[in-house]
Amino acid sequence: MRIRILILSALLAVLGNVAAQAHAFLDRASPLVGSTVASAPREVSLTFTQNVEAAFSSVQVTDGNGARVDQGKPQVSGNTMRVGLKSLSAGTYRVRWQVLSVDTHKTEGSFTFSVGGR
Amino acid sequence: MLCCPNLTRAFALALLLLALSAAEACAHCFVGPRFLPATLATDDPCVADEMSLPTVQYSKTGDVPPATEWDISVELAKRITEDFGISVGETWSQIRPPGGPTMAGFGNLETTLQYQLLKDGPHELALLLGLVVEWGGTGAIHSGLADPWSTLTPTFYFGKGFGDLPDSFGWLRAFAVTGQIGYQFPTRSFDVDAGAFIPQTLVYGGSIQYSMPYLKSEIRDYQLPDFINHLIPIVEAQFATPVANNFGNSPITIGTINPGVIWVGTYFQVGAEAVIPVNHASGTGVGFLGQLHLYLDDMFPTTIGRPLLGGSSAPPQQLKF
Repeated sequence: MRIRILILSALLAVLGNVAAQAHAFLDRASPLVGSTVASAPREVSLTFTQNVEAAFSSVQVTDGNGARVDQGKPQVSGNTMRVGLKSLSAGTYRVRWQVLSVDTHKTEGSFTFSVGGR
Repeated sequence: MLCCPNLTRAFALALLLLALSAAEACAHCFVGPRFLPATLATDDPCVADEMSLPTVQYSKTGDVPPATEWDISVELAKRITEDFGISVGETWSQIRPPGGPTMAGFGNLETTLQYQLLKDGPHELALLLGLVVEWGGTGAIHSGLADPWSTLTPTFYFGKGFGDLPDSFGWLRAFAVTGQIGYQFPTRSFDVDAGAFIPQTLVYGGSIQYSMPYLKSEIRDYQLPDFINHLIPIVEAQFATPVANNFGNSPITIGTINPGVIWVGTYFQVGAEAVIPVNHASGTGVGFLGQLHLYLDDMFPTTIGRPLLGGSSAPPQQLKF
């Protein structure tokens, strides 16, 4: 009985004090992950499952040769990070991101999107 | 300690409660962009702050006629430092033979020390060393559900995601594998009561898994329903093969193959698997395994979700590519 009480106490302690913060996963992106868009986008927008810290979050976009095609400083608002793009020609581009959620968990990822009929 | 199993368990759980109240929570298994979920039958290759509460298994033994067995277990894992952790687990079992008396009670207390050898993000590779100790005499030895001797199992764990394959592999990059292999030493070589040798055993297993979250965020977003995007279909397998000191015992390998699925949420995951014995010695018919698993590092990021020692209380470094 004593063990059951201890286990139950531990469970209640855990479930009763949950903070509303966690790892920030990529929830959606524009352009969509792995998509092909007909016209060149003017920015990349990343929306995460948690709010992220602007000072410790970053995104870069590169073309097929590895050259940077993003421009300007990424803008963070809540759980969304945006970065402007240079004028893109047809081709495949890679987006690499790192974010720090507001509870200091770091996550990272990358994906590609294509412009034009490729 | 051997004479007071209940006090031993109570003491261990009291220590856990103390750790929960004074410590910080820890991370689950991220390796670069890859998240490896906590597997149900085997172990993932990361030290972590997490809790399985409960894990429930239903199966039928390989006896003739088979007995019905229920196992309910709890495990709590806690990082001591960034790369070193400890877990404590306990299982309550009930075995009901047809027409016979029902046996029920706790198994031996199990602790595991784990050290993170490697986390290679770009290659989605994680390596871990562990020492699993089952403390003899801490369970219901008189019911036959626990042994009076201890066992030590040095174990090597690994995990590998295939996201580093070329983009041309497409959706195949969402696959990952995990595995573990250990050598189990009993602290006695002969069971006087049963008149039998106690074998040394090779214990091994692993999983192959397909991450829908990875497919959505790294490869292609098919805009599937949100529930689907949280699923990780998985097949686990676990085996035990006696390899030494097995004179007069069966040399047969026992094990199960467990197809199932894990739903991964923000603060917890829920997993369910079928349990298919690989031979008659491993069980009868198809069993069931289910688990609720809590991510303590996400639930308590500033308290028990961090390592006890050397946690990152200082502001993080500016991230750079």
